[in-house]
Amino acid sequence: MARRLRLFKEQMTKAGVSPSMWSTRDDHFDLEHLEVKLEELEAELLEINANNEKLQHTYNELLEYKLVLEKVGELFSSAKNKAVAHQKELEFQTTVEGSIDSPLLLEQEETTTKQIKLGFIGGLVHREKSIPFERIIFRAARGNLFLKQGVIEHPVLDPLSGEMVHKNVFVVFYSGERVKSKILKICDAFGANRYAFSNDSSKQFQTIREVSGRISELKATIDAALIHRSTLLQTIGYHHGQWRLLIHKVLQRATMDCSSQVVAIFQVLETTESPPTYFCTNKFTSSFQEIVDAYGIAKYQEANPGVYTVVTFPFLFAVMFGDWGHGICLLLAALYLMIRERKFASQKLGDIMEMAFGGRYIIMMMALFSIYTGDASTTGFIKVRSTYPFGVDPKCHGTRSELPFLNSLKMKMSILLGVSQMNLGIIMSYFNAKYFKNNINIWYQFVPQIIFLNSLFGYLSLLIIIKWSTGSQADLYHLMIYTFLSPTDDLGENQLFVGQKLLQLVLLLLAVVAVPWMLLPKPFLLKKQHQERHQGQSYDLLCGTDDTLESESQSIAHDHDEFDFSEVFVHQLIHTIEFVLGAVSNTASSLRFLAHSELSSVFYDKVLLLAWGYNNTIVLIIGIFVFICATVGVLLLMESPSAFLHALRLHWVEYQNKFYEGDGYKFFPFSFTLLTDEDEL
Amino acid sequence: MGFLVTTLIFVVIGIIACLCTRICCNRGPSTNLFHLTLVITATICCWMMWAIVYLAQMKPLIVPILNEGE
Repeated sequence: MARRLRLFKEQMTKAGVSPSMWSTRDDHFDLEHLEVKLEELEAELLEINANNEKLQHTYNELLEYKLVLEKVGELFSSAKNKAVAHQKELEFQTTVEGSIDSPLLLEQEETTTKQIKLGFIGGLVHREKSIPFERIIFRAARGNLFLKQGVIEHPVLDPLSGEMVHKNVFVVFYSGERVKSKILKICDAFGANRYAFSNDSSKQFQTIREVSGRISELKATIDAALIHRSTLLQTIGYHHGQWRLLIHKVLQRATMDCSSQVVAIFQVLETTESPPTYFCTNKFTSSFQEIVDAYGIAKYQEANPGVYTVVTFPFLFAVMFGDWGHGICLLLAALYLMIRERKFASQKLGDIMEMAFGGRYIIMMMALFSIYTGDASTTGFIKVRSTYPFGVDPKCHGTRSELPFLNSLKMKMSILLGVSQMNLGIIMSYFNAKYFKNNINIWYQFVPQIIFLNSLFGYLSLLIIIKWSTGSQADLYHLMIYTFLSPTDDLGENQLFVGQKLLQLVLLLLAVVAVPWMLLPKPFLLKKQHQERHQGQSYDLLCGTDDTLESESQSIAHDHDEFDFSEVFVHQLIHTIEFVLGAVSNTASSLRFLAHSELSSVFYDKVLLLAWGYNNTIVLIIGIFVFICATVGVLLLMESPSAFLHALRLHWVEYQNKFYEGDGYKFFPFSFTLLTDEDEL
Repeated sequence: MGFLVTTLIFVVIGIIACLCTRICCNRGPSTNLFHLTLVITATICCWMMWAIVYLAQMKPLIVPILNEGE
């Protein structure tokens, strides 16, 4: 019904009838009657349109016919007059010359005999096609014909296309049926309309009168039909608005009842693939994100380690580099790169320079933290209190006890920072598991990992702090070793606080329990989860070792599941071993914090002060030069990348390894240019 | 006692830094949360660095030996 309304609207627009603005309140209409009425009106309108088209076509044809008759009549009259004049001239010559022209007269008689057999075709052809039309006809008949054309001054309405076209009237005289068929084909090809007429003048006039009469009749009929059509359309327009409103309401109600999305124009394609990952970064954070992405691209919606890396990476570098003087050098280099940022961004840099420019913000952060850690751990202020308030006591410098003290300090500092970093990583794994609603990973991955790490190395950190606070002389090294070797022996002089023995026993037991806690439950729970999902059962969280035995019996019964249990078990075994051994080796690898400052002291003491001691200008200049070369060449250009790589490893192994899967892929917008490049590859 | 006082100083500096970051670089809730995380992490790292060195020197077992020889 909506389609019919649109048809009516279109017809009214063509006829120039506008639908009425106000709609009649006619509540008696219901949909069935409306549909019947619209159907009837549509049929009537279509019939009227068809009849009008036929009448118009016939009318146009008759108009052309009339034009052809008029023009051809003129042509024939003109030709006749010329023939008469020509004949008179010939008779005059015959009379004058007498018997000499007898052969000419005979020849003329023969010509007259031939003319009786000629045929002719008349019609209309497009003016722009008239010249090629004439040329082709001459070629087809090999010149054995006569063609005459006349121009019609005003445009003619074409019966076929209904447009006003400029046309010519033509008459073709020919001999023979074969030529006639050729001419007919050429007329069809050029779209020329042909009309029959007689060569008798009186008959021509009679035909013109008949055609004129028919034209007048058709004109009256067409006018009557148009009036009828206009009346019908006005009637439709009177009700059109109301009908449209009614149908629109019904469609809306149907849409609501069916709950279908009629207006939806797009379709969501379901896929089981994981979406790509995209992190929004700016020029400051993009380089830190690159460090993280070098390890692996995050899985979709996985926690991004790049957030903390912005601070922790430069900090760990600074702990190793830890020199305020060289920190200032790094800061100046970074500031230079930042000031020339716009210029360098548009230039083509070398490999090393490109990398340095890309990481200019990392260099700046590393420099700032280096200056801070250098102050915090090396130089200081005048001693005014019992404990030095900031940094290391300068009295310690140059004494025999400097090296043991600093080594002890940095070793313990490494353990504290390393354990803190690993704990941060494990806490991140908790947030990951919580976000993905993975209870298995919370209770059988996060919890035992926290217990294991802090039972052993967290406890070691606690012992370090207690030893510093109380000034105890306990040997932590022996203490940790004998906790494992002989946990029930007396602590002796290594005791730090009351109840330490019992606490160590409890912590040791917790660490021992945590390992199978990590290893065993997760594969069985995953297997059970798979079975329940396969059988459509609801999931219940298992707890306790009795259920583990039950799972084992089930695993024997269902040995050929799609779920590959042995693979999952081996994966979990590898993961558990990696964590346990990793906790030990990662703590040891934190000792790489000890780097750099020893080297700096060596250069300072052995080169510069030694040169100063000789009290010679030339030797002093040479010493300063060597010191500068050593500072720039070794400490800045070689030691900085070394500390950088150590910090990188600490981040990847100690921090990201604890929670980061990194098995996603990066988001790239679709581009045809990339397709072309791929095709070339 | 010096330990607690300086720790309090670090906390105050951290809070002031958070407020300054919020005021100066206000760019939507997500970015503000990011900045807050960075400031807190930096404050904790700096405090940890200071605290370790300070604790190590509270009661040193290895004291500076001004005279040559053990």
